[in-house]
Amino acid sequence: MLSYEPDGTLAHRLDPRSKLAIQIGFAATALAHTGLRALAALSVVAAVVLLVARVSVLEALYAYRYALVFLTLAPLLAAVTFGSPWIDLEDGATSARASYRVLLILLVSAAYVRSTPVRASRAAIQRTIPGKPGQLLGIGVALVFRFLPVLQADLRTIRDAMAARLGDERSAVDRASTIGILGLSRAFDRADRLALAMQARCFAWNPTLPALSLSRLDYPAFAVAVVLALSAFL
Amino acid sequence: MIEFRSVSYAFDDVNVLEDVSLTIDDGEFVLFAGANGSGKTTLLRHCNGLLTPDSGEVLVDETPVSENLVAARSNVGMVFQHPRDQFVAATVGADVAFGPENLGLSRQEIDRRVDAALEAVNMAGREDERIDALSGGEQSRVAIAGALAMEPTHLVLDEPFTGLDDPAKRSVLERLESLSADGTGVLLATHDLRDVLALADRVVAMRDGHIVVDEPPARAREALSGLEVRVPEA
Amino acid sequence: MATHESTVDLVEGDVVRQFARAAVLAALIGVLGAIQIPYPLSPAPITLQVLFVFLAGLVLGPVWGTASMLLYLAAGAVGAPVFSGWEAGLGPLLGQTGGFLWSYPLAAGLIGLVVHRGTDLRDPASVPLPIVVGALVAGTVLVYAMGTGYAAWLLALEPWEAIAGFALPFIPAELLKMAAAIAIVTSGRIEPVQS
Repeated sequence: MLSYEPDGTLAHRLDPRSKLAIQIGFAATALAHTGLRALAALSVVAAVVLLVARVSVLEALYAYRYALVFLTLAPLLAAVTFGSPWIDLEDGATSARASYRVLLILLVSAAYVRSTPVRASRAAIQRTIPGKPGQLLGIGVALVFRFLPVLQADLRTIRDAMAARLGDERSAVDRASTIGILGLSRAFDRADRLALAMQARCFAWNPTLPALSLSRLDYPAFAVAVVLALSAFL
Repeated sequence: MIEFRSVSYAFDDVNVLEDVSLTIDDGEFVLFAGANGSGKTTLLRHCNGLLTPDSGEVLVDETPVSENLVAARSNVGMVFQHPRDQFVAATVGADVAFGPENLGLSRQEIDRRVDAALEAVNMAGREDERIDALSGGEQSRVAIAGALAMEPTHLVLDEPFTGLDDPAKRSVLERLESLSADGTGVLLATHDLRDVLALADRVVAMRDGHIVVDEPPARAREALSGLEVRVPEA
Repeated sequence: MATHESTVDLVEGDVVRQFARAAVLAALIGVLGAIQIPYPLSPAPITLQVLFVFLAGLVLGPVWGTASMLLYLAAGAVGAPVFSGWEAGLGPLLGQTGGFLWSYPLAAGLIGLVVHRGTDLRDPASVPLPIVVGALVAGTVLVYAMGTGYAAWLLALEPWEAIAGFALPFIPAELLKMAAAIAIVTSGRIEPVQS
């Protein structure tokens, strides 16, 4: 699993907003191109991005292994045809190139995940999206990170309890709805307590926002993002 | 100072509080004893406007809570049962900063308060640790720090020892003792007085929505018999 | 005291409650992404995530159900491992799962709108069953239309190829999730926040 790790790389020092911009610029141009030369150029960019954030390619590939299943499957699906000649290599190759650019987009996003702590992302959200939606989105994202381990433990308890009560012999619908009811009611009990605690701490629409400032490094990063985005029109 | 003036409150047509009057001075360490359902949690949630009385009035520093919720909530810090559900961020420092951020303080003042609050609960220098990696006792203390960062005059704790083992409980108690010595008023609701009676200036016991005991600890012991409250053995 | 009390604009109590539920449900969907149920007809294991997308609309209603799914996507985009198989990052939102993921807020909103007939919440257990079923079917169709449509465009597949790879294998599992969603709301054990 890929996650933030403290480090001193260039990627870690960049403002989260410039990293988001680079990702969007990269995705824009990757979604616009499937030519071999473009893919080669995009591969170089993706490799540089991973290098800058000190993420190994293998590790990033492993993090997206389930996606790889589908990305491999797509060219096969495209190549198979009903009736002679059964396999259309050209269709398969087109789809393979399209799948490959998706892989590159995934790899580039791995660099952001590795190099950006939650508080920086929250700050970027709250400073980019104005007003109440930005405040709720920023705090909400922090809450999702906070509650993941808590709910994981809950779900483990529920599954253990079900297994102990011969849950394996119950129908699939029964199992799914039991997980649903128990999972949701526990989660909502927690949410109701959380709501009280947030109110007690003056949860407000207009808090002091987390500190975030662009450094000299961010201007070239933004320029890269713009160049990438513009290259979508080439 | 916290003042309840003839407070009544009903929920689902059941009177949870009936005509309760009580004054708590600054710096007092008050125990709220009583069985589950005696009304102590309901009473305490009126101190910061999480609940609003059906009749009567609650005042904090002579201002009605309903007139200035923000003042009531920053003057009366509140920590609930289940500290796990009270955190808004995945790391210690980001969570403790939540209250002061909501108050709109400067970043410098927020940092100062976070440091001071963590210091007060013996967690200094641990801002960057993940909350889900902390022990139960440490989580309780961080939850208390989250309330202290609002710089309250009173700290309300509702059954803070549930689920804590003895050493963890002692570590929390020791912090409460030191906060109390430094002048913070402590309002502690519990059904188990065994380890806390010696710390208190005053014991308020409730039954069926009424205050039935309001005495210094030395005289409270006898009056508490028959209230489903555990008291230290003589 | 040095606080700026007069300028603090508190978030209203019922908003805090719905928001907390929306955020926690978003995290719950994320946790479910890691629990994979092996399923013989599928090339990749299935998860119960879509069941909880249904529940977001059914229990939180159109506004907070949608908000909950947006929180889920945003948290995943900035690195929470909430997408299926522990995945995180902006990539999955643009990759072959992108259409499915972006359909979640819309599907939760659609289901919420149909079942609650607007933004005032009612107990989904009291809503006539055909309406609930209709809402769930519409939500599922939306999820798969967006999911397969985007995947087909992105991976240069013919529509039937995308349907064969990304939709057909999952239909039995979707029927199971709908049945579970109905069982959950009719159990009456999950109460919406009445404002």
